[in-house]
Amino acid sequence: MENPYIPKLAIIKDYRDETPDTRTFQVRFKDLEDIKKFKFNPGQFVELTVFGYGEAPFSISGGIDKEDYFELTIRKMGTVTSALFRMQRGSIIGIRGPLGRGWPIEKMLGKDILIIGGGIGIAPLRPVIHYIKLHREKFGKVILMYGARTPKDLLYKYEFDDWAKFIEVHLTVDCGDETWKGRVGVVTVLFDEIEVIPEKTIALQCGPPIMMHFVTKMLKKIGFPDENIYLSLERLMKCGMGFCGKCTISGTYVCRHGPVFCYTEVRGFLEKIPEAGE
Amino acid sequence: MLTKFLIISKQNLIHLLEKLSKKFVIFGPKKQNGNIIIDKINDLSHLVLEYEGRSLIPPKKFFLPPTEVLFEYEIEKDNIKIWDKLVELKKQKRILIGIKPCDISSLNILDKVFIREFHDPYVTTRRQNTIIVGITCETIVDTCFCVFTDSGPLVREGFDLLLTRIDESYLVEVGSEKGGQLISKFDELFQPAPQEFIRAREEKMESLIEKISSLVLPNFSEMYDIMVKNFHHEIWKELSNQCLSCGKCNFVCPTCYCFDVYDDVDLLLKHGKRIRRWDSCHFLSFTRVASGEVFRKERETRIKQRIYHKLVYSVNDIGVISCVGCGRCINVCPAGIDIREIVRELWRGE
Repeated sequence: MENPYIPKLAIIKDYRDETPDTRTFQVRFKDLEDIKKFKFNPGQFVELTVFGYGEAPFSISGGIDKEDYFELTIRKMGTVTSALFRMQRGSIIGIRGPLGRGWPIEKMLGKDILIIGGGIGIAPLRPVIHYIKLHREKFGKVILMYGARTPKDLLYKYEFDDWAKFIEVHLTVDCGDETWKGRVGVVTVLFDEIEVIPEKTIALQCGPPIMMHFVTKMLKKIGFPDENIYLSLERLMKCGMGFCGKCTISGTYVCRHGPVFCYTEVRGFLEKIPEAGE
Repeated sequence: MLTKFLIISKQNLIHLLEKLSKKFVIFGPKKQNGNIIIDKINDLSHLVLEYEGRSLIPPKKFFLPPTEVLFEYEIEKDNIKIWDKLVELKKQKRILIGIKPCDISSLNILDKVFIREFHDPYVTTRRQNTIIVGITCETIVDTCFCVFTDSGPLVREGFDLLLTRIDESYLVEVGSEKGGQLISKFDELFQPAPQEFIRAREEKMESLIEKISSLVLPNFSEMYDIMVKNFHHEIWKELSNQCLSCGKCNFVCPTCYCFDVYDDVDLLLKHGKRIRRWDSCHFLSFTRVASGEVFRKERETRIKQRIYHKLVYSVNDIGVISCVGCGRCINVCPAGIDIREIVRELWRGE
């Protein structure tokens, strides 16, 4: 039996600076067998080791359409990420995963999709957009609403034009600058730009808890059935396998049962969380 | 499940352990600073099989040690070398003797957590390599309440052998094939158990049940709905003014298993260890993420986390409550918090 605590060695193939503090890393396993075995669903995460510093969880932000690597979009934040940002192309890291449950792709087939991302919360949603691009005919209308603090903080700007060819893209920033000609305000201001039929639309959201709080409220207000609302939650996933207990909410392991949850599950938590919009 | 009763004299039990100690490392109860601790027994004369209540630290430490190195690594120029510590564990052979029924029950609960969809290989390997020889209680201490958690004074499973002192001998119940095989090579040390020994054990158990039953408490397994209903009860606010968030209750709890994971690295940043360490849901750091956000900031939410895990979340997750009525948390709490009083108050409010 393989020991699930031991990371597989991987290489930072390349990286790209998204914003001053956020970088998208291309990760490729050292071992060909590991490359072949690694298949992920949009919304799943991995545990990344920077040897000498520690391990932390990150959602997979790309690679659904790539043969030999996947991507992680990471903000420089704590010990592990700061060390990671000092690493060069070709450096060795460790990866465990993919772990957790991703977005409900099966349930989304044939439906309209409303994707709502806030800040770096767009990262676990990007593989969904890539998936939709590959299988466009399997989905109805697809709308992306994406908000960030400033124009500089918008991730994946270089892909927006491409995305706009197959989905509706709506953007906003909390504070504009001289270059910004779009909307200003939190992501919920974009609701007046879109037309959705809640009963036949699946909403997927990921962002800071306060954003999800208001988005959930708004979705409910405009008539989204609870079972059509999905959220990706962020907690401290350490072991990633449902043992260490650090990521639980009301006894539910975010690592094992999530990180993507249907609102009907979140609603039932005894511990009220801001993301539930209550 | 095969049930087989034998008897062994106290003297012969020591003989048996002497012989077994050539093949197994023996862990059992001994006295240290006036407390009973379960530790490695190098000298069998230090083994104290008859003791009041249960050990200070529960036997979970033998399966999920307070700190444990999961693997070590060496950072080389173009490579990382990893040594899986599991390899060494696989060679171990241990006998854990003298743990009480409440603690045997706790190991059954931990199995449900660590051996499921994912297997924790460290815990699983240690479970496989360890023979459990339990012992039933002689007397109770005032914090014992196993009768209300269905985890004592007798257990039905989770042991390989279970001893009960009857006069100068032990009645031995064989609880598993592993237990049967262990003693099959030492037939000459055992005798078949006469019926009156089995009856004597029943009587002992009945008298223990009677003593514990003098407490006025509900069965903890039936508290689920009451707990769910009282999530916003004022008792939690009151407790939050009492609790010091010291985490002692977690560390002495035989079923608390949460842990933190971190790397310990030498000064040259060449050699590192991935370590896991017991953690406490009472600590602010327990839910703190890299951004600084803490998901259970108020003390009240952290007190509830532990109690609800025991009586509600555990039922949702593994199908049973995870309190075995050992009472250790009551003994060690510097603020005098008593889980029995919490349960009693909520139960009486119904």
